[in-house]
Amino acid sequence: MGGLRTAESLRRFGYSGDITIVGGEKHLPYNRPPLSKDLLAQGKDFDAVAFPIKDSELKAEFILADPATSLSCHEKRIYLASGRNLEYDYLVAATGLRSRQMHFPNNLKLGRYNLRTFDDAKAIGAAATPEKKVVILGAGFIGLELAATLRTLGCSVAIVALEAIPLSPILGDDFGLAVQKRHEKEGVQFHLNRSVQDLIGDQRISGVLLSDGEILECDLLIEAVGSQTNTEWLEGNNLEMGNGVLTDNSLRAMRIDKSRVEDLFVVGDIARFPYLNIALPARRIEHWNIPVECGKRVGREISAIEGSESSSEFKQGEHFNPLPSFWSDQFSISILSYGEPKIADTISLLEGSLDSEFIFEYRREGSVVAVAGIGMRRKISALREEIRL
Amino acid sequence: MIKIQVDMEKCQHYGQCVYEAPNIFQLNSEDKLEYIATADDAELNNVKEAADVCPMQAITIVQ
Repeated sequence: MGGLRTAESLRRFGYSGDITIVGGEKHLPYNRPPLSKDLLAQGKDFDAVAFPIKDSELKAEFILADPATSLSCHEKRIYLASGRNLEYDYLVAATGLRSRQMHFPNNLKLGRYNLRTFDDAKAIGAAATPEKKVVILGAGFIGLELAATLRTLGCSVAIVALEAIPLSPILGDDFGLAVQKRHEKEGVQFHLNRSVQDLIGDQRISGVLLSDGEILECDLLIEAVGSQTNTEWLEGNNLEMGNGVLTDNSLRAMRIDKSRVEDLFVVGDIARFPYLNIALPARRIEHWNIPVECGKRVGREISAIEGSESSSEFKQGEHFNPLPSFWSDQFSISILSYGEPKIADTISLLEGSLDSEFIFEYRREGSVVAVAGIGMRRKISALREEIRL
Repeated sequence: MIKIQVDMEKCQHYGQCVYEAPNIFQLNSEDKLEYIATADDAELNNVKEAADVCPMQAITIVQ
């Protein structure tokens, strides 16, 4: 998505050079939010999630199922898994994330799932028939959305997570507890403050052993325990890596020696970009709207360098400062957030009550860094103006 | 003129479009999306932005 949005932005701002979009998956770019919801619940097909692409406007070449394996910034060339290589004037790194994989002593494969790609969602959809017992490892957004979707499909669902309250590291204890209670009312079981120590079964998983000795039977284990950045291919170029790729204010990659790479931009989940107003180190943000915003910006920046974008309202190198946003639907719960709630030092209930709809405000050193709530979307949206990041 | 279509089967009323094209999209008092189905060409870029930021990709533009 980050790559597609960058290409669209390049064309929109008049860039007339060649554009090649390289991807590791066999599919054209598609929208991931429905994977844990509609796609599973309604068994929809790829067309339901594919991004519309206007070939006549985009004029881009797609190379699919052929991931980049290495880069030489010096030669301005990338190398692909097939052995092919491509020369570039500008490179946009938008390789995103993959699911983190757990490793167990009895490391069975059959019956284990992740959710990141379209193919992952189809595999879960095919296996999670009604009455199946599902254990979900992880109580973040993907874990909770999957729990709601699979419960609605008639599976029995148990969530195992290390934290004491789901979502509390992101949205705070009170918010997380409100979400947990509604899941419990729908029949989702929580096993919190615990981890999965081992898997039970011969060839196919039949249960999990928890860290407190309890055994949960299961037909499917879904691991929703976060992700890893797809950045190995960028190694060897003295870039400041470790957690994604550090960028400057304009999303250009930074080297270890603090110089920047003029022709390498980083977009989306893998970009670790600096704050404008907050005295905290640069951060990565894994929200859907970030690759959209990054792509738009980078396409415009490159067009400006090339001279096709000369609008007075755009300043090259201006500090990139998007407003992060996320949303999540679980049963009848609809969560909406603007800003970065997890950097707050003070959380207060602004409106509503915890057993129905509500809005929390998140402040850091006195200024508002996020607003988030359940329901009340119009009011939450109106408050986004208050946020300063 | 441009014609705007929102697939209400897909729309989850997140309201991300409202910020990009406030003349076209609004959340009503029940937090449901309402929109104007035709607009002046001057709104085209705003509506394109709105279509891009829609998490459910429910907005299409017919020129």
